[in-house]
Parts: sequence; C-alpha cells; structure tokens
Amino acid sequence: MSSELINVSDLNQYAYCPRRYWYLHFYDTQGRNYERIEGKTTHENKSTRGDWVNELYLESEQLGLKGKIDVLDIDDAQPVPVERKRAESGEYYRSDELQLAGYCLLLEEHIDEPVREGAIYLYETDQRMHVPITEDHRETVRQQVNAIQAMSIDSIPSLTDNPKKCEACSTREYCMPEETVMLEPEQAEGTGFEEVISE
Amino acid sequence: MKAAEGMFDESVVFVTKQGTQVRTDGGRIVVWDVDGDDGELASYPTEKLDTINVFGGVNFSTPFVAEANEHGIVLNYFTQNGQYRGSFVPERNTIAEVRRAQYALSEQDELEIAKAMIAGKIRNARTLLSRKGVHGTDVLKDLGVRAENASSKDDLRGTEGEAAERYFDRLDETLTDGWTFEKRTKRPPEDHINSLLSLTYVMVKNEVLSGLRQYNLDPFLGVLHADRHGRPSLALDLQEEFRPLFCDSLVTRLVNRGVITHDDFTADNHLADDPFKTYLSKFDEYMQEEFVHPHFDYSVSRRKAIRQQVILLRKAITDEMDSYHALTFSR
Repeated sequence: MSSELINVSDLNQYAYCPRRYWYLHFYDTQGRNYERIEGKTTHENKSTRGDWVNELYLESEQLGLKGKIDVLDIDDAQPVPVERKRAESGEYYRSDELQLAGYCLLLEEHIDEPVREGAIYLYETDQRMHVPITEDHRETVRQQVNAIQAMSIDSIPSLTDNPKKCEACSTREYCMPEETVMLEPEQAEGTGFEEVISE
Repeated sequence: MKAAEGMFDESVVFVTKQGTQVRTDGGRIVVWDVDGDDGELASYPTEKLDTINVFGGVNFSTPFVAEANEHGIVLNYFTQNGQYRGSFVPERNTIAEVRRAQYALSEQDELEIAKAMIAGKIRNARTLLSRKGVHGTDVLKDLGVRAENASSKDDLRGTEGEAAERYFDRLDETLTDGWTFEKRTKRPPEDHINSLLSLTYVMVKNEVLSGLRQYNLDPFLGVLHADRHGRPSLALDLQEEFRPLFCDSLVTRLVNRGVITHDDFTADNHLADDPFKTYLSKFDEYMQEEFVHPHFDYSVSRRKAIRQQVILLRKAITDEMDSYHALTFSR
C-alpha cells in the first residue's frame, strides 16, 4: 500500500480536510462528487492553443506522486505548470498552491531542471497568478505524501479545524460534523467545533 | 445550524400505475404509460433519486437498469398491495470495510446498539401516548430504564415484549369513535387497524432498508432480531425506534381525520385499490413532512431523519462514534 502513488489533486483534497479525503478515499461509493465532475467538464471544454501543452501526465516513484498537469506553458524558456481553478471568491487557497507545488516537483524531476514557479488561472476573473514555489511548499508536499500513504480506514481523521469549510463539502451529509459533536461533545476537542458546541 | 443539503427528501419515488415502464431519457428518469395512451406520466432528474419502489405490473427498461446501477439507485419490487418481493441493488453499494465492521461486531457491541434502539422505542411510545392525552404510563418509563440496563439480548427482548404489550393496551384510547384497537394481530391482521399498522410497518421498514443499502450496511444481519433466511433483521432493529411516532401516529392520523374509513377495506382486511393509492400518497407526504429535530435543533423531514439514523448507526458500527444514538422525542 505504501508504495502506491498519490494523485497530485489528492494533495488538494487532503489539505482541504483530511477527514473529507478519508471519506472520499475509503467511502465514496455514491460517485456524486459534483464539484469534481463539474471541474472535469470545464477542462474538457478548453481547446488547445499554440505554445501550450495540455494535460501532461507525469509520475514519480521517488516523489510518490502522479498526476496530470492541466497546461504547461512553454512560451518562455522556462516551462510553467498552470493549474486552472474555479473559485467564486476570486481567490485561490493554500491547498491549491500545494497541488501546484506537486506538479512543479513532478515536472522538475521529469526535465531534470529546477522549476521555481507555477501559475494558477482563475476562470471567474480570467486572471493568471504566478506562484513562487518555496522550500516550505516542498516540505509540506513531502509530509502530506507520507501522511496520505500512511492513512488507513481504521484511523479516522478528526473533524476540521475550520467548520466553514463544511458548508460547501459534499461529504457533509454523511460526515455530519455538527451533529456528531452535539451527540458526542468530546469529539469536538482540539477541532474547530469546540466553539460550535460552547455557543 | 441548518441541515446539510441532502437529496433525501425527493429521492424516493413510488410507481403504482399498472402497465407502465420506467425508462431513461437524456439524463432523466421517465415513467411511461406503455399499455395506455397517456405517454410520459412523470420524470425525474437521475442525479436526485436514490430509490424507486414499484408496485405490481410496472417494469424497468434494460438501459434504465444499467443507469440505476451506474447512479447507485436501489430498486424495490412490491406486489400491487404493498408486499415486498425483492430488490435490485447496484454493485457499488457494497463497501467491504463497512460489511467487515458490521460482521465483526461482538455480542456486547450488538447489545449496546440494540439497547439504545429499544429504549428509544419505549421512550417514543410514551411520548405518542402523552401527545394524545393518554396518561399513567409510568410502567413504560420503568420498562425503558430496564431496557437501558438489560444484561443480555434475551433480557432485552423480554423487556421489549412487555413494553409493546403495555403500549398496545393503551393505543385504543388514541382512536376516534368508530375505531377500536383490541390487540395486535399480524398474520393475518384481524381488523382494519391492524391491517393499517402492518402496512405502515412494511412501508417504514422499506424506508429503513433503502437507507441501509444506500449506506452500505447489510440489512439482513441484525443486532437484536434473530437472523432468519430472507428477513431483513437490521432493518427491523432500526425500525423499532420509529414505530410509535413515524408509524402508529400516521395510522391514528389517517383514521382520526377520516382519510381512511372502514368502507375502504376489502373483505380480507386489505385496502382496496384506490384507497391504497391514497394511502401511498399520504405516506409519501408524511415522510416529507418536517419537524424540529429534537437533538439537532433544525427542521428535517421524517425521511431525512431516518437516513440520518442509518448514518449514525453506521458510525457506531465503524467506530466513528462511541455509541449509537437513537432518535428520541421526550415530548
């Protein structure tokens, strides 16, 4: 199990909420993850343009990662992985940065040259933001790959530290975070739900 | 806090018109009048449904069954007057790990879950009686405490039997003039009230069964009801806490409001065809009716509350939660 390669997009899922990732990984039999399905359709509708390589698949035993780079911009001498995101807020998240960092690590191993930046393209605002990949990003990616590989169905991640994330989460209806802490308040300890039950 | 946006409420469809076919048509599920000339009778977005119940002479097209499999839709077959015949269960509705946890429950784990369910049932029986103005139910209160402290399954079954007897002794007092309830009879139900109770238990059992399948538990392996070939023991176990307030209260409402009358029954105590259709639509309405959840403080439909109990049961079985928390109403 531990040698299984992790999908770069799962770094994003895991960073968003380990418990959500745990459900999707071990329990998602309903196949009703709307956001992921919608994201996929949007990607398919984009056509190819010059100087862009679409959907470059890479994998690395060394990194423990595999994944498809949405777009590789080779306009300049330096190739820049571009990750396209929907974000109604017009902002991207730390978890999106980590996903991008994962692609950068895969790419630099593939071309054997350092890749120091990637870009996130936001559909809503038609903006392309450059994201420098730091040593902190690299370290976090490594840690998360290890943590995901070590996951098992019997080790249930605790509830999220940010209950706001639950509002848009597709696993909420069976994760039942608030309901869980109302019935078993001790499960709120050390999570973002401590405040919810003390209200 | 508000309830998570679920798909539970409109997720169950009942098809009772004879000579119809359920088909797919461009991402929607369509009920088509094959024998008659009415064409499309109803259609639903495929994504929203999780259960289709068909009664009697209704069939499914083969492409529809493939679609049901793809989308995790459970199909339940009933006879025209509501007797359960069997189900089509999509292949993805089997998570080995959930089954493994369920099969690995110890006798003690099972007893703990069953105690919560039976104590909940007794609590809810008292609540139903008290809502209807029937007082003097201290015996039930004592039996509730005895259920919580039961030392074995036999002990618990004994307590449950005694509580049921005491409760049914008083149920008559909740009925309007012209209706009486003497004692609970099952095979066959000997009067109209017993017939309505049996029918409603079957309908709610089916709600529970669909929920258990949707959340990958094995409905045939119970925690209290003895395993018997073809008996969905876990569905019967989980149904216990819903019997007084989601079943008996519907029956008393239907007769007390005159929705169902004695004339609606055939000689062998079954509902005639048209009253049966009325019953099904009232049942579905009742399942979609909302109430303020006693533990979570938001409004939910009865159907969703049942699905939530299935999820809570799964959490107790897979150790996501420490114990099973029954749905109880204290008033």
